[in-house]
Amino acid sequence: MKRFIVLLIALTLLVPAFAHGATKVKVGFINSITGPEAPIGENLSNGVTLALEDLKKQGIDVDLVKEDDTGKPEKAMAAFEKLSTRDNVAGIVGPYTSKCAAAISKLAEKYKTALLIPVSSKEDITKQGLKWTFRLSATTEDYATILLGMAQTLGKPKTMAIINENTDFGTSGAKSAKEYAAKHGLTVVAEEAYAPGSPDYRSTLASIKGKNPNVVFMVSYVADAILLMRQSREIGLSPQAFLGAGAGFDTVQLAKEQEISNNVFSSTQWTRDVNWPGAKSFADRYVKAFGKEPTYHASTAYESMIIMAQTAAKAASNRDRVRDLLRKGKWNGLMGEVAFIDYSGYTNQNHHQMLVEQIQHGKHETVWPPKFAGKKPVYPFPGWGK
Amino acid sequence: MSILIQALISGILIGGVYALIGIGLTIIFGVMRVINFAHGDLLMLGMYATYYLFAAAHVDPFLSIVITTPLMFLCGAFLQKTIINRVLDALPQNQILLTIGLGLIMSNTIMLAFTSDYKILSTKYSSSSMHVGGISISSPLVISFAITAAITAALYWFLLKTDTGQAIRATAQDREAARLMGINVKRMSIIAFGLGSSLAATAGALISPTYYIFPQVGSVFTLKAFVITVLGGMGSVVGATLGGVLIGIAESVGGVYFGSGWKEVVVFVLFLLVLLFKPSGLLGKSRT
Amino acid sequence: MARYVRIALITLALGGLIVLPLYVESTYVLHMMILIFINVIVGSSWNILGGFTGQYSVGHAAYFGVGAYTTMILMQFKHVAPWWGVWAGTGVAVVTALIIGSICFRLRGPYFVLASIAVAEIFRVSALNLKNITNGAEGILVTEVPPLTVGKTLITDWASKVPFYFTGLIFMVMIIVVTALVRRSKLGYYFQAIREDQDAAHSLGINPTIYKNTALAISAVFTSLAGSLYGVYVGFIDPSTVLALDLSVQIVMICIIGGIGTIVGPVVGAALLVPLSEALRSNAITDALIKAGVVSAESKVGAFLKENLAHAHVLIYGILVVIVILFMPDGVIGFFRKFGARRRTA
Repeated sequence: MKRFIVLLIALTLLVPAFAHGATKVKVGFINSITGPEAPIGENLSNGVTLALEDLKKQGIDVDLVKEDDTGKPEKAMAAFEKLSTRDNVAGIVGPYTSKCAAAISKLAEKYKTALLIPVSSKEDITKQGLKWTFRLSATTEDYATILLGMAQTLGKPKTMAIINENTDFGTSGAKSAKEYAAKHGLTVVAEEAYAPGSPDYRSTLASIKGKNPNVVFMVSYVADAILLMRQSREIGLSPQAFLGAGAGFDTVQLAKEQEISNNVFSSTQWTRDVNWPGAKSFADRYVKAFGKEPTYHASTAYESMIIMAQTAAKAASNRDRVRDLLRKGKWNGLMGEVAFIDYSGYTNQNHHQMLVEQIQHGKHETVWPPKFAGKKPVYPFPGWGK
Repeated sequence: MSILIQALISGILIGGVYALIGIGLTIIFGVMRVINFAHGDLLMLGMYATYYLFAAAHVDPFLSIVITTPLMFLCGAFLQKTIINRVLDALPQNQILLTIGLGLIMSNTIMLAFTSDYKILSTKYSSSSMHVGGISISSPLVISFAITAAITAALYWFLLKTDTGQAIRATAQDREAARLMGINVKRMSIIAFGLGSSLAATAGALISPTYYIFPQVGSVFTLKAFVITVLGGMGSVVGATLGGVLIGIAESVGGVYFGSGWKEVVVFVLFLLVLLFKPSGLLGKSRT
Repeated sequence: MARYVRIALITLALGGLIVLPLYVESTYVLHMMILIFINVIVGSSWNILGGFTGQYSVGHAAYFGVGAYTTMILMQFKHVAPWWGVWAGTGVAVVTALIIGSICFRLRGPYFVLASIAVAEIFRVSALNLKNITNGAEGILVTEVPPLTVGKTLITDWASKVPFYFTGLIFMVMIIVVTALVRRSKLGYYFQAIREDQDAAHSLGINPTIYKNTALAISAVFTSLAGSLYGVYVGFIDPSTVLALDLSVQIVMICIIGGIGTIVGPVVGAALLVPLSEALRSNAITDALIKAGVVSAESKVGAFLKENLAHAHVLIYGILVVIVILFMPDGVIGFFRKFGARRRTA
């Protein structure tokens, strides 16, 4: 009888150990679900969805609280407050746009809740010396540096024309390109900022063609990239290289338009064929689940959610611990090696390696830097075919 | 110099599409004095209809206007009968808010149904162009221009020579007098809105091979439509045609001289100048 | 309503608002209140021009943006504290208003509306392009708001929301007082005369140009105060947030839905629209429905609502606007007034 009771007690003590299945964490996610940025915001949501599936397999049960910032900074602020004070999440991933990220970066400090920004590119956000804000992606200046660095290595361009959309991303991209040009002996012969959504860029492109630039540096989101390339072909603009910085050039839709997109370069945070662990399988899964190729928005959101949820689980949802672990941690996933460090005036910034893709025969191929490249770049631009 | 000519030609061609949008709005405003902020969204509906006809049934966008135009006419007529009709006598700001609300409903319903993804309608001739003396002319735009001209001519004939057309013009000129003359002004309003909607949708169809499609695309065009309508003179079809082409040219050439960032300002400044010095528009008649 | 009752109610409401931060700690609620205050201010300001004087400007974002930019530029680039900067902002707003007025007031009705839109858009695009002044599309990010000290005592370092709450409250009280004063004054009568029939008013000796511009100037001053407060509070502005057409439309909407031409109208409008828009945006309504047991979270309807209601919030907003315009054209206040009148005569 005594032995039986001891056995019973022992078993009862073991039950919690067996019942300890998944770790539960509560994570907040702020995104542009509606509003003008919704098309790209959707990529982030999809990336997060896949992340949640993977986390579940790892034994981490994420209670995700989604908030829509509609692209407006004050709504992002309301969302952050709600997540931090009412939902009591362990950490927050997001938002998408730079202006929303700028508005809430200081809130992270105020409410001592870690904020992991997946892909907003405005440099200033992580140059404020904030201890609770972390960023995964490279910043705007990196978009320009990698493209122009490549161009100067492959050819000897002397002149550059800049076309950028008149938005935050476009203007800071143009600024970075100009700074690079000043430091590296490139002359900017034309600089045109356009309002996105315009149906006709022909006159702009014609005046750029007149200045005969060696390379054309373009910063575009949305489908303006398609219009710009289409109309460049019409006008007969044919420089040594088309350097596209920005999501517009990264899209599958542009790649499909082979007549106009062949041999266009674009700088990107991630490609499907880069040799980082899990990149390709992620891309395949994404296509299967959502019917289209993932963009780097999806991959950065995925990795950010993985990092945040894993960290929250390790820290048992203690916010100070989360911040501490983010600061000290190292990861190596489909975004390559990730560590949040301080450098060049940045705080908690992951020194992310940007990549350059080139559209070759309707597909995006990683061509630069050589260490991560799958194919060789075609330079200079062979001209518009028939 | 060739840059200027290039700008001029592209401006004229895109102006043709603008003109179609403006004509639709001018008919609506002329007949009903309603400021239709949902006009761009009607264009958007036309674009989506064209896209799905192309994607599902491979109907060429230019040919599909045979289907889209009458369809959108019915749509517009329905909208007028059920909703817009109630605010014809309301304060202008209420009309504006109502049409804004309608526009929001239209664009968000489409967004929920088809997601906000950008849709590209790429035809074999989307990127083709002709080269004349160093100037490149976009082929699809030339075709749209031709179709626009044809539609404008047909519309003009309709307004001048048919009874219904003249009834519409009468209503636009003086609603009360027309009513006294036995014209069913309610019916005229329905026809006018239907007509305006179908023209906007047609413009959308015409521009879809060379532009891109997403739920909020309308907002870009609504404001421009107003500028064109006022420029040409509220209620004047020929005025709107001229206005459209003028705005196209102003944008294009302005972009070359002031930098593309200032393009919109050129259009708005032109707009204000016209409003100040000839408020009835280039071809409008002076009317309080 | 009897005069004493009205005074008592106002005192009660004001008192409640003043002590609210003492009892309510939730920063979320404070944030909502600040947004409501800002919306009341812009709605009431617009009311003076649109409701009283009958000039329906759909370009009021111009003044909001001018206030925001002036204050932010002075604070970030010239290190002028915002409590001086906002007054510079109002100065610039008045000058802007007079310029815009001189262009637009020659036009009537829908032409005036369109001109006001065009002008606001010119401001927005100019702000985008004049990068040296406004930092263009990159916007202005606040790095630090200087602490407010009187003599040696520190009043606030702007770290919490409470000082912003009180600033908003003070501005809001100011505009409401001004609105009430204008309404009962000769100025108010001139405004309303112009609204009813501008030509008749003119023939009676009321100079429309002077009075329309006065109304616009008053309206611009307070709209710019709201813009300045918004800028410093949110900490970031760019042309697409403070000079956008959407904002101008929102301002008009607050006033019309609340009840145009009344003093309380914009207050009601803001108090309705701000929480509603937030409730729609977050999942509050779905959560409430689930909690109330109307819909179960696992059911198909529940899951559908949870996934899509948030996405559909703009759609719902649009539907509401249409319904209000069709069935409550005098706004909420007007609707209740009519309702009350009907009951009284019954």
